[in-house]
Amino acid sequence: MKNFSKTVLLSAVIILLCVNFVKADDFTDAIMKAKKNLQASMNTYDEKALLKVRGEFERILQLKKNEWIVTYYLALIDYTIASSAMGGENSDKDKVKKYTESGFGNLEKSILVRDDFADSYILRYALSFNRWIYESDKMNDIIAQSEEAKTKSEKLESDNPRLSLMDGISTYYMPEMFGGGAKNAVPILEKSVELFAKRVEKEAYYPDWGKDMAYGFLVLAYIKRDDDGDKKKAAELFSKAATELPDSSFLKGFVKKELDKNGK
Amino acid sequence: MKIILLFFFAAVFSTVYSQQDSLKTTSVVKGTVKNKSGKFLENVNVVIEGTIDGTSTDEKGYYEFETGKTGKRVIIFSAVDFGEKKMDVDIEPGSVFVLDVTLSNTEFKTDEINVTASSFTSGENSRVTLSPLEITRIPGADADLYRAITTFPGSNQVDEGSRIAVRGGDPSEVLTFLDGASLYNPFLFSDNYNTSSYSTVNPWGMKGINFSSGGFSAKYGNVLSAVLDLQSYDIPQTKGMFAIIGLANAGLSGVYKTKDNKFGATFSAGQFFIKPMLAINNDNTDFSPTPTASNFGGTLAYKTSHTGLLKYYMNYSYDDMGVRSTGPSYDGYYSGKTKNFFTNLKYSFAPTDVSLLNTSVSLSTYNRTDKYGIINTISNSIYGKVRTDFGTPVSEKVDISTGMEYEYNDYKANGTAPMYFYNLREDAPFFTLDNLDKTGRAGVYLETKYKISDNFLVQGGVRSDYYTLTKKTVIDPRLSVVLRITQHSFLKAATGVYHQNPGLVYFLQGNTTDLKPEQAVHYIIGYEYNRDNDFILRIESYYKDYSNLVSNSINYYDYTSDGKGYAKGMDVFLKVRLKPKFNGWVSYSYVDSKRTPYDGADKISSDYDITHTLSLVSEYNISDYLTVGATYRVSTGKPYTPVIGSVYDPSQNAYIPLYAQRNSARFPAYTRIDVNAQYIFALFGRFAVAFAALNNLLNTKNLYEYNYNFDYSRKIAVSSSNIRTIYFGMGLQL
Repeated sequence: MKNFSKTVLLSAVIILLCVNFVKADDFTDAIMKAKKNLQASMNTYDEKALLKVRGEFERILQLKKNEWIVTYYLALIDYTIASSAMGGENSDKDKVKKYTESGFGNLEKSILVRDDFADSYILRYALSFNRWIYESDKMNDIIAQSEEAKTKSEKLESDNPRLSLMDGISTYYMPEMFGGGAKNAVPILEKSVELFAKRVEKEAYYPDWGKDMAYGFLVLAYIKRDDDGDKKKAAELFSKAATELPDSSFLKGFVKKELDKNGK
Repeated sequence: MKIILLFFFAAVFSTVYSQQDSLKTTSVVKGTVKNKSGKFLENVNVVIEGTIDGTSTDEKGYYEFETGKTGKRVIIFSAVDFGEKKMDVDIEPGSVFVLDVTLSNTEFKTDEINVTASSFTSGENSRVTLSPLEITRIPGADADLYRAITTFPGSNQVDEGSRIAVRGGDPSEVLTFLDGASLYNPFLFSDNYNTSSYSTVNPWGMKGINFSSGGFSAKYGNVLSAVLDLQSYDIPQTKGMFAIIGLANAGLSGVYKTKDNKFGATFSAGQFFIKPMLAINNDNTDFSPTPTASNFGGTLAYKTSHTGLLKYYMNYSYDDMGVRSTGPSYDGYYSGKTKNFFTNLKYSFAPTDVSLLNTSVSLSTYNRTDKYGIINTISNSIYGKVRTDFGTPVSEKVDISTGMEYEYNDYKANGTAPMYFYNLREDAPFFTLDNLDKTGRAGVYLETKYKISDNFLVQGGVRSDYYTLTKKTVIDPRLSVVLRITQHSFLKAATGVYHQNPGLVYFLQGNTTDLKPEQAVHYIIGYEYNRDNDFILRIESYYKDYSNLVSNSINYYDYTSDGKGYAKGMDVFLKVRLKPKFNGWVSYSYVDSKRTPYDGADKISSDYDITHTLSLVSEYNISDYLTVGATYRVSTGKPYTPVIGSVYDPSQNAYIPLYAQRNSARFPAYTRIDVNAQYIFALFGRFAVAFAALNNLLNTKNLYEYNYNFDYSRKIAVSSSNIRTIYFGMGLQL
């Protein structure tokens, strides 16, 4: 009789666990589905598609309040929308500010729950660059914020390719006199491309964005540096990237245009 | 056994039952989302709370989704620039549930109203009017906060220096507030003959700068016209040092913080030397000694707890100069020397999640020596203050703040002063000064900020001050309102009663304790349009009604509190920023300021009745590294009192001037154009900036004063010492 009681109790526990496992699986499935949609919308930089997938993540948040990976993805979408609104001289400052601040807010929620995820600090590092657009007066504050985020991510995961990518992009745009420029960006971006090639994310639902940007910016840096053989390297790298990542509008559009214009 | 079985079935059934939602007949939820003005909103997220069921609105604001989650539910509507709106619903299984939603302004996240009448801000505030970078770049402002403020409407420079007079008032009616302490003499070369003053406040060291030229809050006591409220940085954000060297000065500043962000320190030190600048600019002004000044200051900040912060601030400055001045009775060097020390210890912490308590103790000393002929005076002022402020919201709509302070001031004067004002020769008759007077002031205030709606804010308060020397108590009610008309435009109005004790020097010279606190009643109304600081338009008109002003009695020997006056006018400010190339503003002021010169007299122009003032400031970024700028200022000449004759006094062998009615004439109009340029580059791999300025480009001979020959028969125009001056230098990050 005693054994029967134990069996009944064990069965109850197993059934409960199974049901909850199914629920957790729903959650993971939902994230994976949304992540796939995000990848597609990041490939095209289509704001409407990005906002649509943003809604998906917001709804997933209803399943698990304050889930750090969901708020991370919300911040990543905010960053992507803000970055695409920069567009040089015609930048939409209001939009950059709105989504950058929203990105910071979502990222803080994510870090509050999980503070050892390197990609969160890399994203914070990236978001802090956007502040130049609408808070250029706060130079010291922005530098301090980006340095702090960079240092933290280096400590957590120094071989994260997205960290080298952000470093490379910031070096690429920084004036040469301050240690920036294409020449200095090339080795950093090469490192990023190498790291991406070896990279296997620990979990399928972890972020894996940035590979096309690493390829693309390295192509741009080669073209701009223009040392002996650089243009050939740029063309070869672009060809490889386009084969590997055929859906990237960044590669197919911006980088290809630059390659056609100045890469020959 | 029964219990175990019961538990088993309950667990299984409850779990399985909870999965049945999806097996039930699904319902359709659909509708539209629009804003208050009827515009359909795209990309609003719609979701049933606690579920993943939902969708986003399309470009027509339409949404539709299927759900098995029926019964009593909550649907959430949200978007990045909208707040979250929750709607209670009851969805019947198998039904089509229609829900149209309007997100009204209450859901729209707008900036908090933080616009107040007559206020200009800088620092971290989201609605700053002028950033520290802009302050340092204004041509002619010489990176000086106070000089920068004079490019705003309503304020004028005193002798082209950093001291300012606001809306027709006297310079003494402007109070500088730093971390809750009163900062009385933050200037070098203040009140020296034909020498422009410089401020000792470093704009980069301030996280918040708020300048109010009227209608300010009840937290500020003992000030009649304007307040410059400064908040220094707490823990610095970074570490580093910056050195600067120029043709007339050198400086070193630095910031430090510990890794755990619990302790931070800042310092700045500067030395002023103008010989190289005089030589390069061929300036032959007869100085002895050549002006020199030193300045040292810094902060120490320590986080005592999560919300507690102990901060110490100190600043010391010293200046010394002499300049030749030829007057009717004496030809020699005017010599001025000051030593100024200010220190403040502030502790702040949050007693609750939403309240803040600040307590500060400050002490400052000001020592001044003046010599010219028989004039040889040393004055010492000591100011001490203890202050506590507490602020907390009492509801979502109401904030209250309250505080109290006690301030001590003593003034001591020693030396020799001329017996006859028209005879300043070194051997002239004199009397000896050895006076000391002191006073205290206890103040208390209570203020409420009531957010009637997101678009309407009322701030009302009252303060009371008791002056120990005169044993007089004043009560000052104050009120300001702001109405948001659109997202970017506001109507503002303010009124209030303001009191300020006359300077102790009047009590000493008049040998009296019977002077009342001077009084001004402000009335201000204005309009502001501010689109993210890229486009700002402000128009304000004001009226200041003065009474109890210190005034000469009819015999000119005594002081009374019978002076009356007014200042009325209009300020217009237009700022345009066309990023990334252009930034500029235009400010215009009209003022009519009159006061009674002595008891019973008609009102006449006050000393700073400068009718029209126009400033144009612009800066242009030629490239990412090179910026050029220009400032043009023009204003009506300042009033002065001409001499219309003289009488010989054989006993003094000097002439007694006979004056026309006070302030009955005006200097010629004042004009000045300044230009400057900054170039950013790398030096030894470090950030560096080179700068050059050309002040008074056209070398306009603006007037400092009229002097006279020995018998006052010939008027001699004395030009301002601010001739065309080239200045250059560079800064380097270390």
